[in-house]
Amino acid sequence: MKSSEKLMFILLVFAALLIFSPAGTAHAEGDPDFDMPLGALPPPPYPVDNPTLKKNVWPSPMGPKQELGYLTFFDPKLSGDQGPSACSDCHNPLQGWGTNEAHSKGYPGTAHWRNSQTIVNNAYLQKLFWGGSSPSLEAQAPSAARAARAGNLERDQGEARLRLAPEYVRRFNEVFGDRWPILQNAWRSIASFERYMSQIDTPFDKYMNGDKSAMSASAIRGLDIFKGKANCFECHNGPMLTDEKFYNLGVKRGEGLDGGEDPDDAMPLVQVNLRWEIYGNKGNSEWIFRSFKDDAGMWFRDKQLSSRGKFRTAPLRFTRFTAPFMHHGQLDSLRAVIDFYDRGGDENEFTKELITPYGDKYPGTKSPIMKKLNLTEEEKKDLENFLLALTADPMVLPTPKLPQFQAMADWMPRK
Amino acid sequence: MKAQTKKVALCMVAVIVTAFVLVQTVQAASIGPLPPLKFNAKKAELGRKLFFDTKNSGDGQIACSSCHDHKLGFTTRKPLSDAYVSMLHFRNAPTLINTAYKGSKSVLRNKRIPWHWDGRIGTNLNDMTRDALVTSETMNMDMRIMQERLRQFPSYVIEFNDAFGAKEPSNGLVRKAIPEFLKTLTSKNVPFDQGKLNLTAKAGLELFLGKAGCIRCHNGAMFTDGKPHNTGVPENPEVFKDPVRHITLISLLGFAQGLENIMNLRRDPGYMTVSHDAKDMGKFSTPTLRELKYTAPYMHNGLMASLDEVIDFYNKGGGPDRPGLKDSAMVPLRLTDTEKAELKEFLLALSGDDIGAAVKYAKPDMDYMPLPNWVNNDYTITNYRK
Repeated sequence: MKSSEKLMFILLVFAALLIFSPAGTAHAEGDPDFDMPLGALPPPPYPVDNPTLKKNVWPSPMGPKQELGYLTFFDPKLSGDQGPSACSDCHNPLQGWGTNEAHSKGYPGTAHWRNSQTIVNNAYLQKLFWGGSSPSLEAQAPSAARAARAGNLERDQGEARLRLAPEYVRRFNEVFGDRWPILQNAWRSIASFERYMSQIDTPFDKYMNGDKSAMSASAIRGLDIFKGKANCFECHNGPMLTDEKFYNLGVKRGEGLDGGEDPDDAMPLVQVNLRWEIYGNKGNSEWIFRSFKDDAGMWFRDKQLSSRGKFRTAPLRFTRFTAPFMHHGQLDSLRAVIDFYDRGGDENEFTKELITPYGDKYPGTKSPIMKKLNLTEEEKKDLENFLLALTADPMVLPTPKLPQFQAMADWMPRK
Repeated sequence: MKAQTKKVALCMVAVIVTAFVLVQTVQAASIGPLPPLKFNAKKAELGRKLFFDTKNSGDGQIACSSCHDHKLGFTTRKPLSDAYVSMLHFRNAPTLINTAYKGSKSVLRNKRIPWHWDGRIGTNLNDMTRDALVTSETMNMDMRIMQERLRQFPSYVIEFNDAFGAKEPSNGLVRKAIPEFLKTLTSKNVPFDQGKLNLTAKAGLELFLGKAGCIRCHNGAMFTDGKPHNTGVPENPEVFKDPVRHITLISLLGFAQGLENIMNLRRDPGYMTVSHDAKDMGKFSTPTLRELKYTAPYMHNGLMASLDEVIDFYNKGGGPDRPGLKDSAMVPLRLTDTEKAELKEFLLALSGDDIGAAVKYAKPDMDYMPLPNWVNNDYTITNYRK
């Protein structure tokens, strides 16, 4: 081929790719991105660096690693003052494995700034936390357990504590081969336990697997509204009903921060925590410390002013048990969430234009997808019924009997 | 030839004796009253409040004063100190009286006396304050949270601003204010410093300098050489009997400071954690002898309840340890009962007024309130001063 022919060939191939690419074909009119199809969940995936013998999910029996994670998840030994800050204290089995308060509980003497999310089905997510800061369950567990306003655990102490509880020494040896428990493996065990806490038999899963009677007629109509008129599907897509991308919906500032109607109702420790997050923990500039009065979400991850106030699309599974909703628990029921979207969302600090002290202007970040939906009362009912079909039974486990410390001489006498 | 050798030998003995006497005299001369420390009253007053403030610990339950009780000589009567909430320590809490002198170069004539029983901090009070605040075994405080907690109280914002000149509460300023308060905790009206030793105490001083040989390590104005020694103090069995104390030891010495073989260790390694040299096993920093009246029990693990026990311990040449580890200066002293009593009288004459009694407790304000006009508040001082 001559060089001009070669160039022509490459251009043709390129054009063909553009026209026939799957991303291109899946775009609906005006749709800014590719949407993953909805679907039933497969059994939870296990990464190669944290395998397990039994890939069981609740309520079938746990494998040894999941059982160890069941203990470490509930054990306050893995928190600073061994008080009310075990994983299970803010991911409470009786409150949908989250909390039913707007703000998650904080470590004593602190308050958390965000709503506690359920652990159910987190095995399928690539981004954890509201700002999407953790890439895996194995990375998320220590982030939460060690954060000063969550578990406040010092690694040295956590590891030393595990080592003076003979039952942990035995179990870590059996599961991981550790001579002495290694803290990193505690996080692995917790991740394994969280994978066990997966729910893959909801009415929606059964429906998607072909059992057309699994969902009520109303819920099936709700599914159509979800994909059509209400356009929820635009962001809540894929088997987890989230695209794991970031949007500012204009959810109002959490009442913990400003007290809502009455400033005296604000939670002072939430104000303390916001300042710490902005300035101390995440090291932002002083003008931002002095001017941001709301949770800037993804901003904390990438520090781009265009990201302020954006949060990762929340998965919709298990939401029957996980109210209140949104990052500061601003909306207390599924119906309130539907009404919120129906009116096209609200406004917050970050939906407004920002002018920096240097005179630069940044437009508000509210997602253009947010539009008035004009849903009828019946449509809202149907949508709610569809959302409720994304949850099966409550998944409750009792607090296990936790390993106790014992003087080393009693179980490991010196020769 | 033989006569000459004898002469040389005699000369050498004379030189050695003179040198020994000289060293003794220098050491004896070095003990004396402590010069006053300068401090800024406003900052010290703020430091006092912070000292008692439980907001400065991780879960808001303990303050500096929890283990350094002003009513108990700025220490506690417990042989082994408490630690951060739910934990227990494996060492005795030292007094804070005169601790400010340890970092004072001018006062100690270029000599540094380190902090902690193993002497792991040798810089200054600011560093020592940081260490106590952030170490997970003690206050377990993320100082960035501490700073924002303090900023939630308009009264603190105003006080910091006044004491430090147009500055907000910050972790840096906390580490300036608390040392300023510690500078106020110095010995007052000490009989020894005032030259008011009675006859018994005077005899005790002679023993201290001579027969008992205490001066070898307890010298200088602070009565310490600032160096680590192994005197053979037995282990406190509680440390390994109580898994909670054992955990603190593993966590602090093994993981935080990287001492090898920690899971097999059944004794407190002391200075070895700092030097990582096996010959330093069981060495602990010479403590000050000032204010002993208020600081029982004694030794790094509080094993000795009274000064009598301590004197008996030294009289029999200290405790046992493996050859090569124990300080060779530790030999039986053959003190008579009268001499022991004299020595004790002298030691007690190194204690002055109960300075803790004069320190006012500051009840911490734990009643957090929303900041006024928070949405428009940029946290600058004009928003607090009304």
